[in-house]
Amino acid sequence: MITFSHVSLVYPHSTKTILENLSFQIEEGEMVLVMGETGSGKSSLLRLINGLVPHHTGGILAGDITVDGISTRLVKPGALAHLVGIVGQNPMQGFVTDIVEEELAFSMEALNFPPDVMRKRVEEVLDILGLSAIRHRSIATLSGGEQQRVAIGTALVMHPKVLVLDEPTSALDPIAAEEVLSVLHRLVHDLSVTVIIAEHRLERVIQFVDRIIYIEGDGETSIGSAEEILKTAELVPPIIRLSRALNLNELGTSVREVRRATEDIRVKEYVVAAAPVRHSTPSITVSSVSHAYGSKPALRKVTTTINHGEIVAIMGRNGAGKSTLLHSIVGLHNPDSGEVKVNGVIPTTLKGSARRRAIGYVPQEPSDLLFAQSVGDECAQADRDNELAAGSTWSLLNTLVPQISQSTHPNDLSEGQRLALVLSIVLSGEPDVLVLDEPTRGLDYRAKSLFALALKKYATEGDRPVLLATHDVELVAELADRVLFLAEGEIVADGSTLDVLLSSPAFAPQVAKIMSPKPWLTVSDVVDAIAGTP
Amino acid sequence: MKTASVFAFRGASTVALIVTSAVSALGFLWPFFVSERQGHPQWLFLIATPFALLLLFISVSNNELDSKSIALLAVLSALIAALRPMGTGAVGIEPMWFVLILSARVFGPSFGFLLGALSMFLSALITGGFGPWLAYQSFAAGWIGLGVALIPRKLHGWRELFALALYGILAAEFFGIAMDLQFWPWALGTDSQLSYLAGAPFASNIAHFITYHFLSSMAWDIPRAIFTATLIVVTGKPVLHTLRRAYTKAAFLTPIEFIERAKEPEATR
Repeated sequence: MITFSHVSLVYPHSTKTILENLSFQIEEGEMVLVMGETGSGKSSLLRLINGLVPHHTGGILAGDITVDGISTRLVKPGALAHLVGIVGQNPMQGFVTDIVEEELAFSMEALNFPPDVMRKRVEEVLDILGLSAIRHRSIATLSGGEQQRVAIGTALVMHPKVLVLDEPTSALDPIAAEEVLSVLHRLVHDLSVTVIIAEHRLERVIQFVDRIIYIEGDGETSIGSAEEILKTAELVPPIIRLSRALNLNELGTSVREVRRATEDIRVKEYVVAAAPVRHSTPSITVSSVSHAYGSKPALRKVTTTINHGEIVAIMGRNGAGKSTLLHSIVGLHNPDSGEVKVNGVIPTTLKGSARRRAIGYVPQEPSDLLFAQSVGDECAQADRDNELAAGSTWSLLNTLVPQISQSTHPNDLSEGQRLALVLSIVLSGEPDVLVLDEPTRGLDYRAKSLFALALKKYATEGDRPVLLATHDVELVAELADRVLFLAEGEIVADGSTLDVLLSSPAFAPQVAKIMSPKPWLTVSDVVDAIAGTP
Repeated sequence: MKTASVFAFRGASTVALIVTSAVSALGFLWPFFVSERQGHPQWLFLIATPFALLLLFISVSNNELDSKSIALLAVLSALIAALRPMGTGAVGIEPMWFVLILSARVFGPSFGFLLGALSMFLSALITGGFGPWLAYQSFAAGWIGLGVALIPRKLHGWRELFALALYGILAAEFFGIAMDLQFWPWALGTDSQLSYLAGAPFASNIAHFITYHFLSSMAWDIPRAIFTATLIVVTGKPVLHTLRRAYTKAAFLTPIEFIERAKEPEATR
């Protein structure tokens, strides 16, 4: 279906080769994962398939790419539109209309399809993707998973033979991600659509894919079955690290496989180390806070306390009220009722630099905090604002991610680099508490572990609390001391990470699912427990 | 091979631009040229100008617009159309001209013409300002976009901003005069000292017009000119920077090259 032969790519105004001498074939009805570090060229590879690169971006393309027998060098992207459907990371950016049905019909209307054909195809897609219950709903009111399914639907109405998805689940909670992936699975198996998917959260996808294309940092690329590639790859999900740590003969890619292979480990008894008891004083107090947007309640009488030195994760479905709770805590709005105090002060009463020193906040879209024209300017501005010696913020950034050029425009950074920049700017103010909203979207495993280290250091060094809202269960398992679980604007679970994650089948990390009922969340938990028992 | 360029009038569409602009310019200027015998041809121009605009849009949209130019045009004209009613139109304060002028500076006068004409049309749809004056407004705004070509390309920094602000003042005044000119023959009847007199000498008509203009709408034009120039000076630097970044990001006229094989690594030679 898709053939790459000796493909290399160089973008204009750049001397770096993005992909080098890449050759592979993808058959009809295959599901292929593209993995690699941020900025390694995953998106470029996806856009080569439908010809957007280089026809839209310019650049030098060596070698040849054919899709269903058509060479992309000979035709413009428009001529491949019926063949290749593309779905982006943020479906909202691609929607044109308000209603699900209309959105599905939109691209066909633009191409002047006869009404009876449009009608039929819309119905088909509604059925295939299970969208018929929400066909008349406004897109803006849908959950993230539903939106992503509608986005896939808009691509499917054109009956493409190839579906290309760029990080389709990275903004979704685990349940919604499952929803989307199982739809893709069905498309591959029932309709023989060829699916190419780029994703950072490998733990979610590897059990579904047939083959993996792994783009390493130095332009080297390998392609092979999931097990072949994961055996040696550097970026691997916890489930593979577990198999490696336990020296299993075969790498399993699904919970079921690894669970079968680790039967003997689970039957043994292990010494349970007593959890260290911590004495701490409250830092953030939230007392019966309610907030509503119009008539829609977002928070209902939420009461909780965050202690000094504690890393607390807020989890829950998209739309459960996580961001609203964070907004109340950082003082973006006064809650309708109830009171929030951060170290004894009501956050909305703080102004200017006093506020910056009291609360550090990294919003969901980190670039909302970036205004300058270059990374260097941004860092210099932070130094001035916080009355630091020139270069302090820059050196902080360098410890997080080296190799950023000072002259780069902040919008040209990769997701991970941008997050690191915002984090260093926020941390350079030495705030008393740190609040982060969905910080790890689009981060690869390496960036994520650096990020976790930075947060841990921040929390332990100054005995300061960190509060983060996230869908990333693996991150929570590694990082958080405590988890607040929100649903419908109420706290439905509040306890240590171990208790909350183990008791929820959907939000349990993979290691916990494999090792259940043993109380282990991460690979190092398992390894420590085995090593600690003679 | 290169990626598509930002929209520019070429060949047939240049001819279309000149012809339709000439028709519409006559639609503004006829009061000074007709004799008494010909009477009031305003009805003719009232119909001819919208048709000229329509013809121009058709000629441009046939095959000259590539997807990136369309996208830019759509976003910017939506922005301008939304900005226009923000000043509520009181005493001529319409915060739209500065975006038009700055965009035309960055994306070129041809693009500026289309942007001006299209965004006037669009804002009329939004505000319900649909009427016989619309085609005149569209052409006037288009010419303002086109006229940015008068500012030399090589100006940079403060000189550029100064030139643009000066142009903003002239453009605001031009728009005021053009709109008055369009309305003048319809207003006031034929018997006042400010009225248009068909067949009267050029000098007397122009004197009437200038008095009419000063009395009726200078109060609109001067605030509009000051407001536009101030906005250009205040927002010019960041807005120009943002637009230029969009221009770079859109990769207009970037070379595309297809080669058989990448260079073999040195070692294997």
